[in-house]
Amino acid sequence: MSTYKLVVSTPDGSVFDDEATTLIVRGTEGELAVMAGHIPFITAVKPGKCKIVLADENEKTATIGGGILTVQGDKTTLLCSDFQWN
Amino acid sequence: MSGNTKTLKLRIKSVDSTLHLTKAMGLVASSKMRKANLAMAAGRQYEAAVQNVVDLLTASPDCQSSPFMREFKDGGKTRLIVIAGDRGLAGGYNANVFRTVRDFGEAEIIPIGKRACERYGQKIVSSEKFYAADAFKLAKELCEQFAAGEFDRLGIVTTNYISMMTQTPDIKWVLPLTKGQNVKNTAAVFEPDERTILDIAVPEYLSGVIVACVRESFASEVAARRMAMDSAGKNAQQMIDELQLEYNRARQGAITQEITEIVAGAGN
Repeated sequence: MSTYKLVVSTPDGSVFDDEATTLIVRGTEGELAVMAGHIPFITAVKPGKCKIVLADENEKTATIGGGILTVQGDKTTLLCSDFQWN
Repeated sequence: MSGNTKTLKLRIKSVDSTLHLTKAMGLVASSKMRKANLAMAAGRQYEAAVQNVVDLLTASPDCQSSPFMREFKDGGKTRLIVIAGDRGLAGGYNANVFRTVRDFGEAEIIPIGKRACERYGQKIVSSEKFYAADAFKLAKELCEQFAAGEFDRLGIVTTNYISMMTQTPDIKWVLPLTKGQNVKNTAAVFEPDERTILDIAVPEYLSGVIVACVRESFASEVAARRMAMDSAGKNAQQMIDELQLEYNRARQGAITQEITEIVAGAGN
């Protein structure tokens, strides 16, 4: 599956900066998944679970404390004040 | 003569203990430096990322009516977050920050760092142990008060870390937001809409800036202390050398005098 660059940034530095195939978070309007080739998009993210599918199909889950998701061209950034891997 | 050598010896001893102290403080500062630099880099990166989002949002026409975008007019209330150190003995670090604040006599002040809290007489908040969660709480409060019109301008008095040798005090105006410059029209989709996201993004942005500023100030403080301790150590060493020379001369003089006295006594 094609991948895209995903950066998860917190005030204590970036906790994830790698290629990913899918990112699943809870947006204000419900759950959403970002895959490669997504249109430019900005939304607020609610506190809850977050799932990242890596390039090798492995999954990683984390708990996030709300933030902002931006998809700009080939780079996707998830900004959150709190991020904890499960 | 022996009284003179004794006082000299005492002075050498006291300067020597000062030298030890400055050396120890310099070492502590250097060991903190690396960690402070890493934290500063992380904070800066986050700040840049949030700044990017806020620029995108403020450039959109829908956000112009947001309370966070209202223009500052002369005579409005100013609030300042003043970031100083927890400790002294850092050269002019704290003094430079307070000098910058002095230009805004009428401003309300939110101090961070023990020295600033003591000066402005408020509850002690450490600048070394200031975490992202504290910043977020503060940012949320400030955003609510700003939206309610309790103040019209928010600045952060911080110290820019330029290099190990140079740090300059600076004031950063964060609220009201300025319209994003050099924003390419990305035609991004906003969900649910720009205003809602801006309202959520502003506290996030503010806390990002506060955290970045606190960490940069802390790195500056540590660097300033290292420099100050270095030069204090050098001065102490120089002083010891001078006193040692004087002491040796006095000792030599005393011995010579004694010999002269003995010889004179034997001659009679």
